[in-house]
Formats: sequence, C-alpha cells, structure tokens
Amino acid sequence: MNRTRFAAASMQQLRIETGADVVSHAAFSSNIVCEPRRAWWHPIVARLDELCKLPIGWDGYHAPPVLFGNAYFAINMLASACPFDAPEPQIVPGSNGDLQIEWHTETADIELHVRAPNDVDAWRAQTSTPDHEDQLHLTIDFKVVAGWLAELSETPIAARSSAA
Amino acid sequence: MSEILSRPDNLPDYQNPPLNEVVLGVQFAPAQGYQQIRAGEVWKLYQSDFPLVEEQLPIPPNFETFGLPFQGNALNFGFVTGAMHDRFWFLSPSKDELIQFQPDRLLHNWRKVKGHNNSYPRFEKIIASFEKELFCLEQYFRSLSPQDIKCNQAEISYINYIPLDHDGPRSQFSNWLRFLNFGNPEPDDASVTLRRTLIRSDGAPYGRIICELNTALNPQGARMLVLTLTVRGAPLDQSISAALQFLKGGRDVIVEEFTSITTDSAHELWGRVR
Repeated sequence: MNRTRFAAASMQQLRIETGADVVSHAAFSSNIVCEPRRAWWHPIVARLDELCKLPIGWDGYHAPPVLFGNAYFAINMLASACPFDAPEPQIVPGSNGDLQIEWHTETADIELHVRAPNDVDAWRAQTSTPDHEDQLHLTIDFKVVAGWLAELSETPIAARSSAA
Repeated sequence: MSEILSRPDNLPDYQNPPLNEVVLGVQFAPAQGYQQIRAGEVWKLYQSDFPLVEEQLPIPPNFETFGLPFQGNALNFGFVTGAMHDRFWFLSPSKDELIQFQPDRLLHNWRKVKGHNNSYPRFEKIIASFEKELFCLEQYFRSLSPQDIKCNQAEISYINYIPLDHDGPRSQFSNWLRFLNFGNPEPDDASVTLRRTLIRSDGAPYGRIICELNTALNPQGARMLVLTLTVRGAPLDQSISAALQFLKGGRDVIVEEFTSITTDSAHELWGRVR
C-alpha cells in the first residue's frame, strides 16, 4: 500500500460500479471533503502522519507508533474543538499507540489525552485560578474544549486591551 | 434482539420504495493478533452463504465528533502506516448481498441486481443476518486473543434511485422532493448535501444524519435522482448490542427523514401504507 493508493480511497472510488448494475456503497465514506482553514492544519496533519510511522520501540522500549484510528480520531476532534484562531497545538506520542495534544501559553495549559477513539481525558489549568484544575473525560462532544480554546485565543487580546 | 426484529408500528412504510441499496456497518478497534494473512480464515466464517470474493481499497477511519458548528470535514489527508489491509467483499452467488470486511470494519450490503427481481428483504432480516455475522467475527477474534469487538462507530445508509421522466408530472425535482424547487427551467444537474446533528433526550449529540442528493444516469442512460440517507455516530457503549441498537434507531431516523423530504404524490406512487 502506498500513499497514492490510500489517498485514492475517496467517496467516488469507493462507490464502485459493478457489472451488476448497482453502485456498491461503502459505508463510512460519504463525507464531503472540505478542509478546515486553520493556518497550522497542514503541519499538524504532517505531524500525525509522522507519528503514525514511528518505528516500533521508538521510545527505547517497545512502544508502537501512534495508532491509525487514534490519529484519525484526533484530527476529527481538532476540527470540532479548535476555533479558526486557536493557537497551534503540540502533539506528543504515547507509549501505547495513544497520543496527547497540548497547548501551553502564559495564561493556561490544556491537554487532551486521546487514549482511543471516543476516549479522551481533557485537562486545563489556568494561571488566574492556580488552585483549580478542570479535568473531564470526553467521548465525542468537544464543546467544552472549544470553549477553553476560545478563551485561550481571546485572553491575550483582552489583556492587551486592559493594558491600553 | 427481539425488539430489533420487530418494526415500530408508527414508522412510515412503503410497498414499493425506490430503494436500490442498504448498508449496515460497524467500525471497531482492530483486533489483537489479526493480520491480513488470516483474511481467508475470516472468509471461511461466511463462505457457505458468500462464496465469491473481491478485493477493494480499504475505507479510511471515520468519526463523527461534535463541538463547534460544522467547519469542514477532516478526512482529506493521507496517513500511511506501512502495510495496509485490503477490504474484502464476500458476495452471495446472486451478488445481491455482500459482507465487507477489513480489520476495523464489518459491513453488510443488500442491493438490487440487474436481471434479478430481488425484492428488498426488509431491515429486520438484514440486521438479523448482520448480528450473526458480527458475533461470528467476535468469536473468531477471541480465538486469536481474549477480546471483544469494541465498536466505536456505526452507520446505516439507504440509497434510493428515483427516475426522472423526460417530461410530465414526474420530471422535476420538486415532483419528488419537498425541499427542492428551482422554478423553470430546472438545472440539468444538481448535487446537494444536508447534515444534521442527532441529539439524545439528555441533549447530548450522538450522531448525524447526512442526506445526499445527486443527479445521475441509470445504465440505460435515463436521468434519475440518487438520494442517499445515512446515519452515522457512536453507539452508547462499545458492545455489539449497542451498535445494533444504534443501527435500529438510525433506520427509524432515515425512514422518518425520507418521508419528511419526499412529496405526497411520490408516497402514493411508492405505495405508502402507513
């Protein structure tokens, strides 16, 4: 399997005209493809691609590469959670094929640990409330994280406004 | 599963729906201990009813997630992880039913086949077969390593072929669909996709319904509308039973949506009985 072959698995090609007068529909393939326009989108996709290709034992022990399904889930999660002006996250591989997506700024730290599809631990700490941390287990709804990231994007502007 | 085998009394029903294909599918975490070299062992599970085999391109993973309003789909990227497993079609002798298998998916299709007057066997029969096929696969995976199938998405699609006459009362989009009225003249071609989030009673999203409409030509060269209704999302938990419940609920959503967006005159033609 090479890149071209996999990339060719588009909706149109998954609907294969057979000799039997039917279009065989492949479930899970019927999305309209339209990439989000965040500036950091392509570097993040490239990073996930790189993490999926890590050699077994990349950590010096026996860690596998990031699992394909986890990477796909993560990219869907980011599309649902990240406002267009969200800062670029860092992505760190885990030792079980899992991964962690992190934002670290002067005002807050946010970490999303993708253990598996539909299995995410979300954590936030803010400098404004040092005695409080937000910690949630999330599955498919990332509205809360979208709110956290919106605050992360807005904070520097608010700080600049009040300083002025 | 007895509740799955009965059709809800209040669900709209048609004697002659324009249905061309139905697909039930479940996506799950790849099984431990399985490699492509074992695909023949999977075929043996189904070979008595599905003796024909074809190889196809694998389907990439797909997840419905929620949060911000829809901002585009994230599928258009080409992760490669080295060797990839084919998707296998195991077909019935008449090719009107097939099982699709790859390490993270099992699908069951029913479809109309040219030259065969195969009538739609109804959802209840298809899902009963699919249930057996899923549990059979789980049993096989357990023979490789102690494990259950852990479902992370389920999907059901109904694909309808609606012929467009050259002229007359069945020639325009609006004769068939309530939400499409272009006035005169109508466009030659159209492609429309509608997506809506499905919400549980507690207010949490659990899936989406996707309605796709495209103009197309049938094999005889006549114009038709291809109306595809899909419900996709996460089952309540990772079990096969939860996935089957999701599919049953998805069928109900699709039938209601189909009835809602198509016209009364079309319902009459398709023999609506409820």
